[in-house]
Amino acid sequence: MLLLGLAGLASAAVPQPADWVPARWPWADAQSLELLAGSPVNCLLLAQPAPELAAAAAARGIVTLAVLAPGGGDPVASARAALSAKTTGLVLDGDFPDAVEASVREAAGTAPVVALSARSRMPLGSSAPILGTYQGVWPGISLQDDGKEKAGPTGSTWIDTNTGFVRAARAWGEAEVWIGNRPPAGSVITTTRYLQVIADAAASGARWVVALDSDFAARLHRREADSLASWRRMNEMLRYFESHPEWRHMREYGQLAVVQDPAKGGLLSGGILDMIAVKHTPVRPIPQQRLSAGALAGATMAVNVDPDSLTAQQKAVLRDFTHAGNTVLTGPPGWKDQGPNTGSITLTKAELDRLNEIWRDVNSMIGRRNLGVRLFNVSSMLSNALASPDGKTVVLHLVNYSDFPVENVTVQFSGEFHHATLLTPEAGPKPLEIYAAEDSHGVDIDKIAICATIKLE
Amino acid sequence: MTLSRREWIAMLTAAPLLKAAPETAAPAAPVSIARCASYDEDLVGQLSTMFDQLGGIEKLMRNKTVTVKVNMTGAPSLRYQGRAPAITHYTHPKLLGAAAHLFGKAGAKRIRFVESSWATAGPLEDVMLDSGWNVRSLQSAAAGVEFENTNALGKGKKYSRFKVPGSAYMYPAYDLNHAYEDTDVYVSMAKLKNHATCGITLSCKNVFGTIPASIYGDDAGVNEPNESPTSGRGAVGHEGRRQPSKSAPQELHFGTNHDPGYRVPHIVADLVAARPIHLAIIDGVQTVSGGEGPWIRGSHPVEPHLLIAGLNPVCTDSVAAAAMGYNPRAERGTVPFQTCDNILRLAEAHGVGTTDLKQIDVRGLKIEDALFRFKA
Repeated sequence: MLLLGLAGLASAAVPQPADWVPARWPWADAQSLELLAGSPVNCLLLAQPAPELAAAAAARGIVTLAVLAPGGGDPVASARAALSAKTTGLVLDGDFPDAVEASVREAAGTAPVVALSARSRMPLGSSAPILGTYQGVWPGISLQDDGKEKAGPTGSTWIDTNTGFVRAARAWGEAEVWIGNRPPAGSVITTTRYLQVIADAAASGARWVVALDSDFAARLHRREADSLASWRRMNEMLRYFESHPEWRHMREYGQLAVVQDPAKGGLLSGGILDMIAVKHTPVRPIPQQRLSAGALAGATMAVNVDPDSLTAQQKAVLRDFTHAGNTVLTGPPGWKDQGPNTGSITLTKAELDRLNEIWRDVNSMIGRRNLGVRLFNVSSMLSNALASPDGKTVVLHLVNYSDFPVENVTVQFSGEFHHATLLTPEAGPKPLEIYAAEDSHGVDIDKIAICATIKLE
Repeated sequence: MTLSRREWIAMLTAAPLLKAAPETAAPAAPVSIARCASYDEDLVGQLSTMFDQLGGIEKLMRNKTVTVKVNMTGAPSLRYQGRAPAITHYTHPKLLGAAAHLFGKAGAKRIRFVESSWATAGPLEDVMLDSGWNVRSLQSAAAGVEFENTNALGKGKKYSRFKVPGSAYMYPAYDLNHAYEDTDVYVSMAKLKNHATCGITLSCKNVFGTIPASIYGDDAGVNEPNESPTSGRGAVGHEGRRQPSKSAPQELHFGTNHDPGYRVPHIVADLVAARPIHLAIIDGVQTVSGGEGPWIRGSHPVEPHLLIAGLNPVCTDSVAAAAMGYNPRAERGTVPFQTCDNILRLAEAHGVGTTDLKQIDVRGLKIEDALFRFKA
């Protein structure tokens, strides 16, 4: 029987880093793993790794990563202790000095090490399979001090989101992006908000590292019915996105390109990419470093955020783009695209005011044009349009950040598509009628709870 | 001060508790009130009964072009906690569809829905879609359904000038989108609401939204209209800080009054006199109390479950005001006109219609049975 058990352990399939679905696991008892029955979560971040839990997780094919935080003692010793407890690998959760990080990685040997660093320290363009950060905004409709909704520069409801940052980071390549921010302290986080946070990251191709607030975690540990129901819904949302791995390999679709150094403004939340997202215009971020005619293929408009920082060769690419009849909008004179610093990932009021100058021009340039997709009745929503490598399939993710379902959403798309299907976490695929609309085609969606995806083929 | 139930009943029966209405030459017309529990009810049947109670609409509609000014105040993105604007501060599209169906059935050859959409001259259909309205359903409600955003020139080649008959209060005439002239029948389809500036907003106040921001907007051209307006009408209409574009008739006594509580009611009274309304329909099924939209602090959704219609906007609004718990003849300084002039009395003085409930034949539901108290 022992041999059979070992054989079973040995045969438990260990997922590859690209497939890890992470959660900060607040419990140390092996019994807590019961909560993962049917869950796509397969990677647990353990603040205090217990050998029993690590072993039980391994038996289920679940990866365990010991969390090392700055200021938590000798990180190398902690790393060795964690690995001796049979965790699969390590997470550097915070900003460590380079030398310390190198020592930890050396101590880890072949064990995987995931860094959740400040956005500004993420190794963009490296071969790391996972790019992670502990910094993120808590997604949702932004409220003023008196509880009223904030209007953004577009006059639309402003939505706090990590999507612009994720798009910028993902523009570098195939690395998985993890956002490791935790629920805001002292806040009551409803199930709806958790679902929105998962969808905010996933709709842009990233993974939010599931993190439960302490009250929810305590109630879930006691297996209270309402917390179990919430946990079930969170897992449904995770499963919805994880059951479509093809979406993760799709790239942004649309005719508007934003040329920006992702290591600068692209890493901010509330920057130009988020402003355009609020306008519900599909946008393709192009890292300035990878600007080429090929990268601009299919685009008809481009926003050159920081023209002064372009090389002569890059400027020539944009010149050719305009000579071909396309439009380029440049940032205002003297504008310097600034990146985040370690402490802040959002723009200051002064920076926002300057960026509004670009925004007004972008808004005016876009007007009513259909740059791939136009959306209606989506003021409380954000969207992301992605295309398959062959361009034959486009998926449009919609995430609703309000507390109420949105009814009667209209989508008009400019491409030639013959089939449209509505996908949601709650129900099976539903064919949508495609009808002719102004210079385009349209589909109507009756109701969207938290998120939905329209698949166009 | 708010009316007690005794005072309110006294008002309805014209007892001497309140100052009696003066003799007026303003005409009276019947008004119909109906109970409507939700927008999922048979709105066609409800409206049909109401129109029958008003004497039928066939004669009014046969072979006519009908222009329906709806109420879509503010940007569609501004909502009460994410609720659809149609169940709070916009007229409901199902009511539009039902009305269009009945207008078509009565012989209307063209039905044009109009609104001066907030801060844009783009197509009204876009704004409707952004509000969650099914434009295709509306189009199929009757033959010849059209839409026009009247916030600028729109589909017209020139603006139409509407002269205020008699002595105008604010402007001698108003330049509006052609849709208000190229029509035989003019319908004001309003929402039953309070209004921060005017106390109440019903079928008369609804027409303040006809004046184009291209001419009367904050960013209107000085000499000529700005055909791409991006702002509201605060500077010209509400505050009198600037004149409209010089292409339009200028304010009569510019610079003498900057009180929105004076200006907006007087402009509205001018407008209802200059461009007569043939049919008033007020959507009070689901609405808001305490203000006209979510940007008014303290305003909140309510469900009076009422539909009100009439052939004279002042009479219709007077009955509607009474159903809201207000005296339609109330003076400035009293509820609901604490900080403004009473549009209805100003329009009555222009000879548009009477506010005297004694003279108005109310059909269907009685006012006392329709009472739903709005904010005092």
